[in-house]
Amino acid sequence: MTGSDRVQFRDELVHVSALNEYVYCPRRFYYQRYHDEIGRPYELVDGRSKHDGQARRGGWVRERYFRSEDLGLHGKLDLIESDGDVLTPVERKRAESETYFASDEVQLAGYCMLLEAVTGEPVNVGYVYLYSTDERHSVRITDRHRETVHEIVSQIESMRVDTIPPLTDNPSKCEACSARTYCMPEETARLEPERARGTGWENPDAVSLGGEES
Amino acid sequence: MFDESVVFVTTQGAQIRTDGGRVVVWDVDGDDGELATFPIEKLDTINVFGGVNFSTPFVAEANDHGIVLNYFTQHGDYRGSFVPERNTIAEVRRAQYALGDEGELAIARAMIAAKIRNARTLLARKGVTGTEFLADLQARAREAGSADDLRGTEGEAAERYFSRLDETLTDGWTFESRSKRPPEDHVNSLLSLTYVMVKNEVLAALRQYNLDPFLGVLHADRHGRPSLALDLQEEFRPIFCDAFVTRLVNRGTIQHDQFTADNHLADDAFQTYLGKFDDYMQEQFTHPYFEYEVTRRKAIRQQAILLRKAITGELDEYHALEVSK
Ligand code: SF4
Repeated sequence: MTGSDRVQFRDELVHVSALNEYVYCPRRFYYQRYHDEIGRPYELVDGRSKHDGQARRGGWVRERYFRSEDLGLHGKLDLIESDGDVLTPVERKRAESETYFASDEVQLAGYCMLLEAVTGEPVNVGYVYLYSTDERHSVRITDRHRETVHEIVSQIESMRVDTIPPLTDNPSKCEACSARTYCMPEETARLEPERARGTGWENPDAVSLGGEES
Repeated sequence: MFDESVVFVTTQGAQIRTDGGRVVVWDVDGDDGELATFPIEKLDTINVFGGVNFSTPFVAEANDHGIVLNYFTQHGDYRGSFVPERNTIAEVRRAQYALGDEGELAIARAMIAAKIRNARTLLARKGVTGTEFLADLQARAREAGSADDLRGTEGEAAERYFSRLDETLTDGWTFESRSKRPPEDHVNSLLSLTYVMVKNEVLAALRQYNLDPFLGVLHADRHGRPSLALDLQEEFRPIFCDAFVTRLVNRGTIQHDQFTADNHLADDAFQTYLGKFDDYMQEQFTHPYFEYEVTRRKAIRQQAILLRKAITGELDEYHALEVSK
């Protein structure tokens, strides 16, 4: 593959981890995509850890890259459990949190769909593994999940560099957001209130998250 | 992230090395061994003065981690920089290069108007009255119809402001007139030094957010001159630079006998100066718009972000740092 092919190919397909990013906050995803403003690429933050040695048992497939033109998705699955014909992707979360989020479910749904598109076998269940609790949660992939994945893929495909997504409508997300120093939601609401209209940052005084972070 | 990110190294004969993901300042000539150590991911700028060396592996690490190395003489004259290769973010650069005359002028007007406002604030804080002329000039700057107009207004404001700056200094110190090189008096020498130091803070901020520091909005682009850094520095000159110099002088931190015959600070005094400068950058003030406490260094970085947002169209205008009290 030549360099230019690769660029094109990367532009065309949506990375599965992008689903998660986009659901968390489209604006943050925008910064990552166009401004490289998060620092490390998302994929490198995950994975690669103390548990790396664990998955050498039979019935596991590790680190497989998949792509599907039809879905418009590509991505690397860290871990796939195989039990006969049934393949189940495992998404490992290293965050402190003791639970997983809607955005993780969407990402998992993306993996399941990618896997079934490539293998031709239905994949209706995925696992989220939480390092924090050392627990594995099974998630049934519903039609809602599938629709959501399609919707987000098309939203990501139609994103444009000259249209920045609004601030999140849920300011508590900003608290944990690595792009906050750059995004400046509270500051934007103060400097140009019309930019924050209709978002959770409309009235910065009411959202007392404080300004210090970094 | 912002405040420990700049390091100053003045120990002559020191070498800066890398050691297991940390930056280590090592006393090569003397017997002191390890002088200081920092986690490499926290740093973005290292300023070295005089005979300080970097090990070759360290320079490679600095490149990988995006750390800028600035070289100064022992007296603080700027010599040059090592700037790491960094993937320029095409969209940001494209937006910057696409700014038209109008876009540039709008940003420059905000910067100069803020500078004039801040000049007046500094004088007012020191009890200098009768500075309404600055309010008029500020209004004129806001409405400047061309870059030349704006430069003219800026020049007039600077001249009249500097003619009053003398009154802010304690007995025994005078500020004759602003002269550049060589500094004709001690106050000018301190001002020049401080402008260089703050310019480097501004440069670090612009580089961190991937703006091209050489493409200015008001200062003419001249080969090798960081015009955008000079532009963005304008609003900080009175409230950060001049205020710092008057503080050094008025508190007796720096005395006349600490200067050499050619108006440079003597070695010990220069060490004192750098320590005070770094403290000053890390000192907090209440941000005039955001109302929380920020360090001066962080405030400068925030202005680089706001500038970038104005350039990429994420904000409608550039909101310069205007301090009115
Ligand atoms: S700070 Fe808030 S609005 Fe900004 S990118 Fe992060 S989550 Fe989204």
